[in-house]
Amino acid sequence: MLELINISKTYNPGTVNEMCLFEGFNLDVPDGEFVSIVGSNGSGKTSLLNIICGSIPIDTGDVRIGGNSIKKLKDFQRYRRIGRVYQNPAMGTSPDLTLLENMSLADNKGRTFGLSAGINRSRVAFYREQLAILGLGLEDKLHEKVGSLSGGQRQAAAMVMSTLTPVDFLILDEHTAALDPKAAETVMELTDRIVKEKKLTAMMVTHNLRYAVEYGNRLIMMDKGRIVLEKSGAEKADLKVDDVLKVFTDISIECGN
Amino acid sequence: MRRTALIIVALASVMLFASGCGGKVPTIGISQYGEHASLDNCRKGFLQGLTDAGLVEDKDYKVDYQNAGFDNAVATQIAQNFSSKGVALMCAIATPSATACFAAAEDKDIPVVFTAITDPVKAKLDKGNVTGTSDKLPVEAQLDLIRRLQPDADTIGIIYTLSEPNSVSSIAEYQAKAAAFGFAIEAIGVTQQSEVSLATDAMIAKGVDCLSNLTDNNVVCVLPSVLEKTREAGIPVYGSEVEQVKIGCVAAAGIDYFELGRQTGAIAARILKKEAKASEIPYETISEYGIYINSAALAEFAMEIPPDMSDKAIEAGN
Amino acid sequence: MSVFFDLAIGTLTQGLIYALLSYGVYITYKILDFPDLTVDGSFPLGAAVTAVLLTHGFDPYLTLPVALAIGATAGLITGLIHVKLGVRDLLAGIVTMTALFSINLQIAGSNLIVERAVDTIFTARPTMAVIGALPLIYRKLIISLVMAVVFKLLLDSYLKTKNGLLLRAVGDNSLLVTTLAEDKGRLKIIGLVISNALAALAGAVVCHEQRSFSSTMGTGQVVFGLATVIIGITLFKKLGFVKGTTAVMIGSILYKASIQVAISLGLPANLLKFVTAALFLMILVVGSRQKGGLKDA
Repeated sequence: MLELINISKTYNPGTVNEMCLFEGFNLDVPDGEFVSIVGSNGSGKTSLLNIICGSIPIDTGDVRIGGNSIKKLKDFQRYRRIGRVYQNPAMGTSPDLTLLENMSLADNKGRTFGLSAGINRSRVAFYREQLAILGLGLEDKLHEKVGSLSGGQRQAAAMVMSTLTPVDFLILDEHTAALDPKAAETVMELTDRIVKEKKLTAMMVTHNLRYAVEYGNRLIMMDKGRIVLEKSGAEKADLKVDDVLKVFTDISIECGN
Repeated sequence: MRRTALIIVALASVMLFASGCGGKVPTIGISQYGEHASLDNCRKGFLQGLTDAGLVEDKDYKVDYQNAGFDNAVATQIAQNFSSKGVALMCAIATPSATACFAAAEDKDIPVVFTAITDPVKAKLDKGNVTGTSDKLPVEAQLDLIRRLQPDADTIGIIYTLSEPNSVSSIAEYQAKAAAFGFAIEAIGVTQQSEVSLATDAMIAKGVDCLSNLTDNNVVCVLPSVLEKTREAGIPVYGSEVEQVKIGCVAAAGIDYFELGRQTGAIAARILKKEAKASEIPYETISEYGIYINSAALAEFAMEIPPDMSDKAIEAGN
Repeated sequence: MSVFFDLAIGTLTQGLIYALLSYGVYITYKILDFPDLTVDGSFPLGAAVTAVLLTHGFDPYLTLPVALAIGATAGLITGLIHVKLGVRDLLAGIVTMTALFSINLQIAGSNLIVERAVDTIFTARPTMAVIGALPLIYRKLIISLVMAVVFKLLLDSYLKTKNGLLLRAVGDNSLLVTTLAEDKGRLKIIGLVISNALAALAGAVVCHEQRSFSSTMGTGQVVFGLATVIIGITLFKKLGFVKGTTAVMIGSILYKASIQVAISLGLPANLLKFVTAALFLMILVVGSRQKGGLKDA
């Protein structure tokens, strides 16, 4: 599904702040895989996401989805088949619009935003259904402005919105990091359910080692732009949080963190 | 919602109250474009003109004076205000106020008397229930004056505002007539008052022999600073009317705006007395001009009034 | 009493005509969150083109769609400068506005008057056929009212379409728009086009109403627009979204009414602007004595 081939990226080349982040980085994410990426700050996990989504240009290498290179596509063009949920719940929804309006917008992703009615009345029942699954009571708040919902509610809505239309690839960018423990659990469970039901290929960047271990079928730990730990399939199923933590701490001590 | 209703009612009541204070004495609405020396003189002259024609304020007429602060939208609302009040006559000082008054007067066909408009034909104020006085600049007289005071000068610099109709007309005339007097005109157009200073610097850099003023609002308003710069650079400035000579221009072949206003007042009086309709009175152009000099300023530039002019010249400096 | 009536009608007419400009500023400032100074140039552009067309015998009604088109072009230029050349929003508008000043001078000179013999939308035969019996000021009121309401309704419907909803999202959270695979730059351009088309239309109607174009008539119009949008929104904070256009239309009427009150009070002429400012302040303070206050404007 997703191939990162020989990626090289240097920040601020030729200046005092020059930092070579990626050098010949490769990563393959096959169809249907749910991979978690962990690592300390500066390890390159977020840069990786931004490179896939096109917000950061690469020096060399290629990014392919479904075998087709997306290197030349602009960020908004790439999002056609990519869904993304951000760390900040405020980023995934439009606060001044109602929940219904947000859902309607998300529902039209990939199609023309022309002069037909913004809200499709016949779809309202469907939106209610999708929101009801969350168990947060959002299906009754369709006419409230999203800005008045709590962080957890907004993030849950953002999750639903990101997969309302078919996507090939779902990117979860530390999407539970800003939520309280209960909301985080709810959103994580929702994530798991959506990925399984829609058979999505997903990449989740997280600080939460427990989530990384418990969810998904592959775990990658990054450090300084390289993969230092990788477990998938049966190996991952046996993985314990402590094992991961140990590797994490080792690297950190090395770097003097 | 209630508060909004409250606000609307409050505003409406004030308007109602203010407009209700009318009376049987005909009102003259004076709409002046903005405050500055020439326009103020016009207005004072206008009032004098009414008195000279035998009309007595508060008995034969009342005055409602409004000043638009050089804002066109306000000039429009002032004109509307006059129209709604049904004034007997609108006196408009300067082109934007005049066109606004004439447009607003259309509905009730209120006579409009304008003053301080250089080109009434271009402003389309020469037909209809409108008349007044035009302050066409005595360009030839000014060119002659400059030639006499500076026999060796070649270029005259003129700073003007691109959007002022009076100035645009006058520049055209200067450019047409300058050659006959052996002059070349260096004209710099500005869009707002703050650019006049830069334009002055540019003029000095170009090495013009002197500057001449039009009745341009922006330039006249910052004249003192223009004079300061040109004085240092040794460039004399000629004004377009007496007030400018008072504050330091060396000389001017200028119209007396008070007189212009007075003539306008006389026309208005005829209309009020019902001797004639505005549509029947063709607008008048003042053709007499006076030569005003500022001896102190002249001395600074080592210039002298030629003997045949000195008796006619009026000393304006102190 | 008839004096007051005439005054009120005249003021209402001014408010309704300028409401078209307020709609334009509402789109860019409030919805798109883009401070657009282009209107200082596109408003007089509409007037300049209209004045020239009218003096050349063009059909007065057709000057309106022409003004819309030309205003749209001005908005397009600002949009392209901002999106394609990467110039900041405020500066992109300033660039276009400054260029338009010269362009307007080229089109119509420093002033252009439309004489009484030439018909405007308020005096042309079709208008006279329908409402010719009424005095001119009533005709002006009716036509202005019709235009203000028609464009308000058009704008309201647009904002409920998919495109309109997306436009609202761009100003609210442009990142979401990108995540929805839409080009936020394109949307901003659409908003600027609509806004400046309306500004130019307002300029055109003003030209019809006062039979003149002046190259300085644009100065300060963006300030006017912002003031009316903020006044309108402050007063109607509690009501639902669709009423936004109504709110700014009322804001425009109140603005013009404040000036008229200041004129009517008969105070010394120099105090006009001061009194107007005092009235705005009163309106804003009285109107915002609700939860939220002025900060959310």
